[in-house]
Amino acid sequence: MRKTTTYVLLGMALLVGAWASFELLGPKTPIPRYASASIGGDFQLSSVDGERKLSDFKGEVVLIYFGFISCPDVCPTSLAVMRQAIDQLSEEQREKVRGLFISVDPERDTVDELNAYTQYFSDRIIGVTGSTEEIDSVVKQYGAYYKFVQLDDSALGYTVDHSARIYLIDPEGQLADILAHDVNPNELHSKILAYL
Amino acid sequence: MKYLATALLISASLAQEADMSFDEVRVRAVPPGANISAVFMNVKNNTSTDLAIVSVDSSVADSVELHNNSTEDGKMKMRRIDQIKLNANSEIKLKPGGLHIMLIGLKRPLVEGDKIDLRVNLSDATSQSLEVPVVNIRPTMNKMTH
Repeated sequence: MRKTTTYVLLGMALLVGAWASFELLGPKTPIPRYASASIGGDFQLSSVDGERKLSDFKGEVVLIYFGFISCPDVCPTSLAVMRQAIDQLSEEQREKVRGLFISVDPERDTVDELNAYTQYFSDRIIGVTGSTEEIDSVVKQYGAYYKFVQLDDSALGYTVDHSARIYLIDPEGQLADILAHDVNPNELHSKILAYL
Repeated sequence: MKYLATALLISASLAQEADMSFDEVRVRAVPPGANISAVFMNVKNNTSTDLAIVSVDSSVADSVELHNNSTEDGKMKMRRIDQIKLNANSEIKLKPGGLHIMLIGLKRPLVEGDKIDLRVNLSDATSQSLEVPVVNIRPTMNKMTH
């Protein structure tokens, strides 16, 4: 029996507010942090190289994405966007950027499979997952959403409804921006540069 | 002579206008670990009859299904659908984030440069066989941000 996650409505509202204020104030004003909106924060999940914490990547710009390997369309699109944004960086800059693909489907996705999957897109993206409880906790922290849905009429068996955003974490570990899953790679590239 | 050339040109263009046309047909190259993929294409129904894609076959997958992606309140949802309607004299685009043909249970990895076979079965009991190139589907760089 799979646990469904809760939709953090309040968090979302705060987030939209923070985003709106950023959009309205424009780039000349200091970039606001999302920390005050109580979204984001450290977490620990498992990778092929053992436990990884978000705080392990202090000093780097981290791109967090919630997805799963059998996601046929949206997740590969987002990872391809990340790849294109990262590929435009210089070698030195690339070393300071990390993608974190968090699988919400630990039953199907092993850390080995996640490693092969993320490496296909970029050697700067690592795959992590954990127990349902651990995943639910991170999902809640970031105001994300996922829900397993049985598909009785499909050979897939089940699918996962999910939010698909790219969370940009600044080198201090604070949530700095949230981008659409199909954001223009050039835009993501510029956003990364702004925090490097 | 001039008239003859014009007549030939007209008949040639008429001959090219098939009842159905399938353009930009492509299947997504598959990352390691994934045994599913999606086929995208632009389908044009040049007839005056409403048609539909009712099923698709391919030798590379255990199952081939028609699916649609939709977004509700920022949540991505994918569901199976029975058919993809092709209205008379109109074009429909199967593309990332929307309608697509889903390959489930791939029998081999799909690598860029490969080709796969596909048979699209239509509601008028005809079918169209296509050879589909495997491509790395790249996000468009010129998409406007919202």
